[in-house]
Amino acid sequence: MNRTALTIFALLALGGCATTTPLDISGAGTQLEARQIQTRQYDTLDKPMTMRSVVATLQDLGFTIDQADADLGTITATRYHVYTMRMTVTVVQRGDERVSVRANARIGEDAVTDAATYQDFFVALDKAMFLTLNRVD
Amino acid sequence: MSRLAGTGLLPVAVILAVTVLTGCAAQVPKAALRLEESTLEVRAAQTRTMAAPSETAILTATIAVLQDMEFNIDRIEKPLGVITASKVSDADDAGEKATLFILDMLCAASMSGGCDNMSKARDDQHIMLTTVVLPSLGRPGEYTVRVTLQRIVYDKEDRVLVMERIGTPEIYQEIFDNLRQSLYLEVNQS
Repeated sequence: MNRTALTIFALLALGGCATTTPLDISGAGTQLEARQIQTRQYDTLDKPMTMRSVVATLQDLGFTIDQADADLGTITATRYHVYTMRMTVTVVQRGDERVSVRANARIGEDAVTDAATYQDFFVALDKAMFLTLNRVD
Repeated sequence: MSRLAGTGLLPVAVILAVTVLTGCAAQVPKAALRLEESTLEVRAAQTRTMAAPSETAILTATIAVLQDMEFNIDRIEKPLGVITASKVSDADDAGEKATLFILDMLCAASMSGGCDNMSKARDDQHIMLTTVVLPSLGRPGEYTVRVTLQRIVYDKEDRVLVMERIGTPEIYQEIFDNLRQSLYLEVNQS
């Protein structure tokens, strides 16, 4: 590899970052994949108690709540700490005994797509749900 | 690659290769949603359980305290007990401004140019607050109140200087002291 090859390589590397502004409406991931990593099913608590636990989890993680709707089961929250992180969590009743919780997060301009981050969120939610179930405020 | 070693271009090639492989994908900060070890302590500092005659009484008292603290209420979702409030306040610090002014004077005296330290002075801060007021699970008839606070501090040019969660227990203690007083007034006025 000589200097010319390296220069071409450098241009390719840097050029890869420059794009015209795409209209990002649909997001980058596949619908099914995103739903899988962002969703958990619970059969421990009902919808209101699950929502209570979700709000507590978001507070535990340092978020403040922007908007919440008990009927639709939707909570949006933001954390300003080093970077801006925004989350929307939806709680939906599935049948009589199951509740589905879906969380999606963005950091600044980017969607959070890695499964580990969502796994951490659900670990935190499990702890909050355990406290709610055992009636610990 | 071994031929590059002698030319001193190897480190450049390695950096470029890493750039190509990682692309422009943003990296999610590790542990962005992992609970910190201090979570239970922070939760305790942000939470109080108190007796109140009704949910409406304690919510009214909470809103009154937020108004006392010069916050505006942004949203309320009563079934979840969530009250969201915010305010923009002055973050000017006379001491900081004096220091930056002296730095600018020294800079001007040395004729080095670009003497705009004063523009980096704190100007205002946006404070976001969430209060959750719900019937206590552990103590029937009482209510649990949890407050969380964050702030963004801007400089004179509207650049973000600080983004932080407010964790100082004394600040939360002061809010709860005010809330107990507000609740007392609320109960005794009606």
